[in-house]
Amino acid sequence: MRAPSRKSREPKVDLSVRIGPMELRNPVLTASGTFGYGDEYAHVVPLPSLGGVITKTVTLEPRAGNPPQRIAETAGGMLNTIGLENVGLLRFRSEKLPRLRSLGAVIVASIGGETPGELERLLGALGGEPGIAGFEINFSCPNIARGGARYWAVPRRLERTLARLRPLTRGAILAKLSPDVTSVGDLAIACEQGGADAVTAVNTFVGMALDLARRSSKLSRATGGLSGPAIKPLALQRCCEAARAVRIPVIGSGGILSGLDALEFMAVGAAAVQVGTASFIRPRAALQVLEEMEAFLRERGVRRIDDWRGSAMPSGDAVDEDPGRKPGLRAVTIVRADRSPRNRRGVRSPAFSRGRESRRA
Amino acid sequence: MTVAVSAWRQVRGRVDQQADFGAGHRWLELRVTAELEPPDPGQFIQLLIPSHASGAFLPRPMSVASVRPLRDGLMLGFLYVPIGVGTHALAALPAGAEVEALGPLGRGFPLDRPGTPVLVAGGRGVAPLLFAAESLARLGRRFELLFGARDRAHLVGLDEARRRVAGRGRLHLSTDDGSAGIKGTVVEALDRLSPRPDHPMVIHACGPHAMLAAVARWAAERRVTAWVAMESVMACGTGVCRGCPLARSARGRAAFGSQPPSLLGNRDYAMCCTEGPVFDSRDLDWERIE
Repeated sequence: MRAPSRKSREPKVDLSVRIGPMELRNPVLTASGTFGYGDEYAHVVPLPSLGGVITKTVTLEPRAGNPPQRIAETAGGMLNTIGLENVGLLRFRSEKLPRLRSLGAVIVASIGGETPGELERLLGALGGEPGIAGFEINFSCPNIARGGARYWAVPRRLERTLARLRPLTRGAILAKLSPDVTSVGDLAIACEQGGADAVTAVNTFVGMALDLARRSSKLSRATGGLSGPAIKPLALQRCCEAARAVRIPVIGSGGILSGLDALEFMAVGAAAVQVGTASFIRPRAALQVLEEMEAFLRERGVRRIDDWRGSAMPSGDAVDEDPGRKPGLRAVTIVRADRSPRNRRGVRSPAFSRGRESRRA
Repeated sequence: MTVAVSAWRQVRGRVDQQADFGAGHRWLELRVTAELEPPDPGQFIQLLIPSHASGAFLPRPMSVASVRPLRDGLMLGFLYVPIGVGTHALAALPAGAEVEALGPLGRGFPLDRPGTPVLVAGGRGVAPLLFAAESLARLGRRFELLFGARDRAHLVGLDEARRRVAGRGRLHLSTDDGSAGIKGTVVEALDRLSPRPDHPMVIHACGPHAMLAAVARWAAERRVTAWVAMESVMACGTGVCRGCPLARSARGRAAFGSQPPSLLGNRDYAMCCTEGPVFDSRDLDWERIE
């Protein structure tokens, strides 16, 4: 693709990013549910070259998943209703984790629960496991009857749950949010105040597709989660909104196919990105995103990804926000007063600092 | 963990030629690079059409109808019908157009099982069985090929089928309207091949699911093993997305019972892409298959 002879003399771009306690060599992660438990694609993707591998959401008990049809292609994307099929905690810990460790990946384990108590038990069991750099809490599965995106789209519930999870691990805690909410910014603030190290914006959008001959859903359930390039503009906006609302890093996700897509998310404030559905089409998609991202930045003389991050963040009057925010959401005002990318990195919100201290205690 | 190290790769392919094949069918010859391992009969390839040439987003799983070694790769043959956006876009690709090929995927027909192989093809389901017939002929094995369709025009690939059985087996045609072979279905053609205890048969079938269900029933009643090549909507084709489950029968659940869930599936569902697309017909719950 690139001529190595000339390019290799040019300085490398520093792509390293920090997500809470995690130092990632680059900002490209695989999205949960699109890269298996990490080893399925390992013969075509050297895992250590990625920023991190976010594994398929694991629940306390194994889940068989929803009946077929689980997938429907739509314009520029796909709907899925997999239903969190997974091997369950015990097998994840005894079989998947050792394998993934041996492959040298930076591991972020995705966990999902129907209640705060289930998440506590999961994190309690996995929180001290060696080799897990962080946990992504799946607060946003659209395809399960209980404990899915709707249940978790309540700021106080998120905040309280994260506050209970925070002491259970020294690893990073990422909160993956649903886009189907009134304000993803409000949910992000709740996560920050609960002690999350980062939020992931966003999971799939709830959608429908019909089979007109049968006059029923193409899927076995009425709705599914929409992913793929069809959602990229929507996800980009949600990511931007979250990044404006909080000081903790936001990880952009939704329809990223190329390095340029990823750079759009980072330009509106994302600290890192996740490549998801693209991996279904090209198993090496995450690597390609990384290579394209680096080539683009190098060509423009951008030496550090941090200098790119937030460089296209819209100013306050360019976005539609509620001027009469409730007192509980004051954190937004503080962030807005000082939101240049450089300062955003240096300052931590009081809630975040508290969370970190209590963890060490 | 239970799956051997995956051998599939995604490689560049180039359309060598495409031709009309009658009754709306197309035959595609795709030249792929040598990193792609040669597929076995019944395995499939995910064909990804460049986005500028297709409204389809996902790759299309296609069973392989022929494989020819080249000096620097393989020539893969595919028989398909343009139905949706993906296959229409594929049909419009001229010679020289690029198509990415991911494979070989899934598990093919176990042609090495003892007994006379009886290949049962319904309509364009003949595609992987043309490949199976070719393999059997190369191995010097005798086989029967039953080929059914709604009418003579829809016995697409009939000449290829004839060439492959020449000297190695017998071709039994059936059509719904009686315009070729016997008037009736492939199951009625099966009836005429009564199994003999001294010559056990093993069925390898591909066609519409309703036909496969009928073949499964026929085989179960006669204690004949039938391997059926299933279809499903798929996204990744490699077991990662979990998008192509097929419900297991009680026997299928029992057979899977002690295994941990894996790329192949779990106790309730088999993944069509990894455990299949070829299944022992007794392992699937035909009541829950559309």
